Amino acid sequence: MHPDHTGGGTTVHPQDSTQGSGVAQPGSGISRRRLLAMSAAGVASPLVADMSAIRLLRSPALAAELRKQERRVILLWLAGGASQFETWDPKPGVKTGGPFRAIPTDVPGIHISELLPGLAQRMRHTAVIRSLNTKIADHGTAAELMECGRRNDPSVRFPDIGAIVARELGRLESTVPDYVSLYTSTEGRRKGTSGFLGARYSPMFLSESMTPPNILRLENLTDVDHHDRAALRDALARRFTAESRSLAVDSHLSAYQRVQGMMASADLFDIGREPESVRARYGSTQFGEQCLIARRLVEAGVPFVKVARAWWDSHGQNFETHQELCADLDHCMSALLDDLRARGLLEHTLVITLGEFGRTPGINASLGRDHFASAWSCSLSGAGVRGGVAYGKTDKEGHTVVEGEASAGDLFATILASLGIDPEHEYMLGSRPVPLADFGSAPISEVLA
Amino acid sequence: MQQSEPSAGRTPETVKVVTTHPLPAIPLCIAPADSPGVAFLGMSDFAVHRIDLAADKPEAKPIGEARHGSYVTGIVRAGGTLISGGYDGALIWWDAAAGSVQRRIEGAHAKWIRRLALSPDGSRVASVADDMRTKLWDVATGQCVAEWGDYDAKTPHGYPSMLYTVTFSPDGRFLATGSKTGLILVREAGSGSIAARLEAPVMYTWDPKARNHSIGGIRSLAFSSDATLLAVGGMGKVGNIDHLEGASRIELFEWQAQSRRAEIEDTKYKGLVEALRFGPGDGWLVAAGGDNGGFVSVYAATDGRLLAQEKVGNHVHDLALAADGASLVAVGHHQISAVNL
Repeated sequence: MHPDHTGGGTTVHPQDSTQGSGVAQPGSGISRRRLLAMSAAGVASPLVADMSAIRLLRSPALAAELRKQERRVILLWLAGGASQFETWDPKPGVKTGGPFRAIPTDVPGIHISELLPGLAQRMRHTAVIRSLNTKIADHGTAAELMECGRRNDPSVRFPDIGAIVARELGRLESTVPDYVSLYTSTEGRRKGTSGFLGARYSPMFLSESMTPPNILRLENLTDVDHHDRAALRDALARRFTAESRSLAVDSHLSAYQRVQGMMASADLFDIGREPESVRARYGSTQFGEQCLIARRLVEAGVPFVKVARAWWDSHGQNFETHQELCADLDHCMSALLDDLRARGLLEHTLVITLGEFGRTPGINASLGRDHFASAWSCSLSGAGVRGGVAYGKTDKEGHTVVEGEASAGDLFATILASLGIDPEHEYMLGSRPVPLADFGSAPISEVLA
Repeated sequence: MQQSEPSAGRTPETVKVVTTHPLPAIPLCIAPADSPGVAFLGMSDFAVHRIDLAADKPEAKPIGEARHGSYVTGIVRAGGTLISGGYDGALIWWDAAAGSVQRRIEGAHAKWIRRLALSPDGSRVASVADDMRTKLWDVATGQCVAEWGDYDAKTPHGYPSMLYTVTFSPDGRFLATGSKTGLILVREAGSGSIAARLEAPVMYTWDPKARNHSIGGIRSLAFSSDATLLAVGGMGKVGNIDHLEGASRIELFEWQAQSRRAEIEDTKYKGLVEALRFGPGDGWLVAAGGDNGGFVSVYAATDGRLLAQEKVGNHVHDLALAADGASLVAVGHHQISAVNL
């Protein structure tokens, strides 16, 4: 699959979708994306270390593209559906409110659940959207909706947000993966999908271990042999492509380069390389360790990392469940925001908390809350976001949205816009235009920086 | 609730729900009043209510204007004084008749208060909370006279632990507490020294694979009248912890010998065992709790045999057993039920 940037749209060729992806730039010895990649490598950014290509950055027109390419995303996927009452939209003292209090944040006038005291002190970095009405309240369909920003279409496999971000922000020359997804728990496990963008943008999916399997050099192969083999293969490939260039060969070469990059990136998943003090800040839970991996990955230039924290589906004992899981979320996300900020990465990195839906206002007989998609919340922190904003409003008991209703498509468009990606940009599937964000959706400008 | 004399020899053969009345909020704890049929309820509307089940149309009403800052989860009565505790960490002393507040201790605990227990002589009230501390309060003065913090603040998996329940032995000599991770401590109520350390690890229900959290814990404790037996209630192994789908579970300890006499699991009526009481004579014990639905079950204290049980509407959070063991009042989700044994 080879998208061509032509005018306002990008043509994708579904027939190549299983062959990986590249960028065809007819008549050009170097692709725009490649140029950008090389240029971006020289930007004085904490995301990259190589300064050698700074001279390539000359065109002001590239500046916006480069800023966009510096953007990264960490999606904290609250699998199973966290309660908005016990997180971002507390309703203390009303029948549906539950037992928890609302606490003030570091932004005057904004209160969140007492279960998130750490995040309350970091609200200045965060925009909360309290007015999602996404209508679908079964796990599978709702997860697909929130991941892809639109309902499934029998005739088209849409890419999820990770694949689109990987496609739009990934660098061809990158030696790190474009899209990493960690989902260790088995319940509700979803790999993610690159849809019509093809396998090139499928996630590196880690489910059984926090380290990618099968990417280490074989023990019976020396490092010298490994590099010599790669050099020989490169030399032969260059000779071959000089005589006979084709998209298929480009894709093949790209795949090899990416494999080499993957192998070289194994250390990124090794949190043992972090100082003990840093590890201690994230804590010893699995989610904490995975958040630390996410930081290491975005620091190395991975555009999109999803960390799934299952399982919030609190049909029974909702309050006990949220005491446990919110403590984890609060601690780990606070550590993550602090760490990103200290490294100068927060302004480049969008941290999202999102699940497939929220929880019912009604409290059931086992003190649980059930699935609810009519009035729920998510949060956006960091890159491209106006921090200290609580957008939208639900009614007194949290049954309906009364102000600023937002759809899954609107949220999708907002995320894209915060990353500098035009939500209205279209992929052309043959003659069919497919906008990045669904038809009729629009970014929520109030939460954008 | 009848307050007739205990009958040591009688063993319940049936459980029968006599009446059930709706409530405007969720009752989480109950303390019987002196008058037959009258009880005080700690509720999810942050208030302490009074209800007369002997009335034509029983109606729960707040006993006064004052409110907790969250759900009221523990309530005991010492003569004319009620003491309530809540998820707000506060303790309130009430004049039970007037509904006025006699004393209010904000920050009695740093986190949720889960349960209160009154010493048999009525002089002390014990409280347990998610700050993992057990505190002993002088009923007359409101002074905290002892405090213990022997539990770990976090579970073995790094999450906040919880200290769910507390009870006195009938002679007032021992105080037992139970936590989320299945640790039971029995201590000398006077000195605070730990007399026994028991474990019921099945009740922890940590799911490391599918859902990466837990939902169980020890929710109820009861001593036999001679204090030789300690019954421990919670939930057994559960596949899907989204719901309370595990077997209701009771472990019966000869605690001084560190010996488990019986393990009782019921898959017909699943969920948490929220309340336990020994019947007069110690020949049987009654358990109540549930998943979405509620149950009351009676077991033989000798070997854990099921003697009788019945579904009781919604999940039961607490019960008050009549002194003669012939009836009880169960409070559950938006309801209160009178039950004959």
